[in-house]
Amino acid sequence: MKKILVLAMSMVLSFSVLAGCTNNSNDSSAAGQDSSSEVLAEGVLSNEEATLSIYAQYSDDDTKIPYDYAVEQLKKAYPNVTLKLEVQAQDDGQKLMTYAATGNLPDIYQVALSQIENFKESGNIMVLNDIAKETGFTDKVFESAENILYNEDGNIYAFPYAGNEYVVWYYNKAIFDEYNVEVPTTFDELIAAAETFNDNDIVPMSIFGTEGWITAAMYDVLATRWDAGGIAKLDNGEGTASEDAYKNAAEMMNKLVNAGLFQSSASTTNYDQASQMFLNGEAAMFLNGQWYMTDATATLGDDVDWMYYPSYDKAAYEEGKTAWSGGGAAAGYAVNPKSENAELAAKVAAFISEKYCEAKVMYRGTPLVAVNVDVEPENEFPAMMKKLQADLPSITSITKFDWHLTNPTFKTAIEDQTKYLLVADYSPDDFIAEVNNSLK
Amino acid sequence: MKKFYSNKLAIVLFALPALVVFSLMVFYPIVQVFIKSFYDWNGLGSGTFIGFDNYIKLFDDTVFKISNKNALIFALVITVFQITLATIFALVVSNKRTKGRDFLRVSYFIPVVLSVTVVCQLWLAILNSDSGLLNSLFKALGIDYQQNWLSDRNVAIYVIAFVNAWQWMGYQFALMLAGIKSIPIDYYEAAKIDGATTMQAHRKVTIPLLKETYKICLTISLTGGVKAFTEMFIMTKGGPGNATYTLTYLMYKAAFREFRYGYGMASASILVLQCLAIILIINWLFRDKEKKVRRDTRWNTK
Repeated sequence: MKKILVLAMSMVLSFSVLAGCTNNSNDSSAAGQDSSSEVLAEGVLSNEEATLSIYAQYSDDDTKIPYDYAVEQLKKAYPNVTLKLEVQAQDDGQKLMTYAATGNLPDIYQVALSQIENFKESGNIMVLNDIAKETGFTDKVFESAENILYNEDGNIYAFPYAGNEYVVWYYNKAIFDEYNVEVPTTFDELIAAAETFNDNDIVPMSIFGTEGWITAAMYDVLATRWDAGGIAKLDNGEGTASEDAYKNAAEMMNKLVNAGLFQSSASTTNYDQASQMFLNGEAAMFLNGQWYMTDATATLGDDVDWMYYPSYDKAAYEEGKTAWSGGGAAAGYAVNPKSENAELAAKVAAFISEKYCEAKVMYRGTPLVAVNVDVEPENEFPAMMKKLQADLPSITSITKFDWHLTNPTFKTAIEDQTKYLLVADYSPDDFIAEVNNSLK
Repeated sequence: MKKFYSNKLAIVLFALPALVVFSLMVFYPIVQVFIKSFYDWNGLGSGTFIGFDNYIKLFDDTVFKISNKNALIFALVITVFQITLATIFALVVSNKRTKGRDFLRVSYFIPVVLSVTVVCQLWLAILNSDSGLLNSLFKALGIDYQQNWLSDRNVAIYVIAFVNAWQWMGYQFALMLAGIKSIPIDYYEAAKIDGATTMQAHRKVTIPLLKETYKICLTISLTGGVKAFTEMFIMTKGGPGNATYTLTYLMYKAAFREFRYGYGMASASILVLQCLAIILIINWLFRDKEKKVRRDTRWNTK
């Protein structure tokens, strides 16, 4: 009797375990499957059910507002998809690399171009060509922004949201007026302006020298006065730092540093400190991306404007008005090909990128996005942005932001070496030698 | 005890957990560092074996030379600063006639318990060449001297070394004080009977008997100096340019910023070898003297 009872109990137990497995299996197969036969409600793109991990920037208004907006819109279009956000660390991509090395990449992740190259080789990034077509993302991308959709090998590895962006030379009109300084068009005028400001205890130009990208941008601005290719040309392996343009740029940067263009603590000044110097009226000029226009206008109002980059003479100044520093790269939201819901993740990534663009236009005062979105800005674009927009059609060349450089060794070298140029006694020849070493 | 040591199985059983953990957490990664240093490896996948290429490039790299020079400066500055001051402070605090000993003891140790980030931010504020406390102080005192403490490529490494030395001096101080307290009071009484002054007693009794403590302090400060990273990472990012790079920073740059993990591992291997060499040299120097002392003592007793 006892044996029969034990046998019966064992069978019940085994059955319930198996039944449990079967149920789970059914559940998991249901999750992530497209219920295409279902009729979708208006505005709903899919009823698929899944929780997707996402690794994205979420640290300031420029990243939080677009992300929150995208998530809000996602709830309407993909009501059964839940995003589990992990905030991107400011760590040169180390965390992402560790995830890739250990096979723990999130389903969706923001990725820079230099890492895409690495991930391509190791199979950690999904080719998104088909999804881009299927979702219509390819058609929505501005023609002028196609360089930021397709990788050099012709594939799509990430859905971009930022369009081509620009390095903007801001200045405080009120300070210039107060000291009767004309907007400099040549380097000689710039040095003269710096002298006037220094004599009046105004920092001519504040720079956040702890961040290599801005010193690289400053150098790029100077280099593009002689060669529109700027640092992008070096990154693409089409030139060396010994060429006249790059040599002249290094010498000019050294000359400007020695003329006191930057604050003396430039090497150790961070972004907040440098920005505050400009916004508080302690500095007359400031270099940053065009995304700074909203914040600068909010604080300085009509007193802030941007100028064309000064050049070595008047003719070069006029000619250089169409050659800008900045640019874009085929980077953005990428997808882990090993994700359980890779296809769904790819569709969600495309959706989020598009919504990012909408939020940037509506709430962040920038029309410079990758995708042509049919939305109106909440507030009128700042006057500086309108001025830039008017100039966009005439721009004939752009270079690359530091984070879009594809050669990581050159990227590190140009960051370190341009930071080094902030030191008055650093020789441009040493700069050239070190940059050339990185290009070998 | 003798019975325990004769039981080999017990020794193995008790030592095994620690050995396994040590092997997995320390030994295996170090071996991997050496192996991967012979590879062209981007941190993902298995990489390509390239023999000594990474080392050849490393020895030809100007940053490698700067890093070694900086490591030497850093190690020497912190060693001299910490050991000298720690010795003086420990001797002062150990003297029962010193007033406010408890206060001094805590004061010297406070920087040690602070976070490195906090300490670096504190010194960044003090050393800022535009608005820093130090330059402002010179100005307030009417001294016509302004210095770009962290932006001057010839000065920055010394300044960073000073910040490290300032923070960790208290640690050396605690070791010295513990060492002094372990010296039997009888020795000082004997010295006093022989007519020795306080200074003479310290010179003839305290300092020689602190030899083992000095050995530990030297090892900590020299190896700590050679593998310095945090302060330069927070305060200068290795800059201006690469003026405050160390081997650790070079390794970080190569592996994490350039994705040249093989090259970074080559740099790390050299660092491991340097630290090992320092430890061996210190041990050899101190052991040699110990043996000599023991030999002399044996000879005298005979």
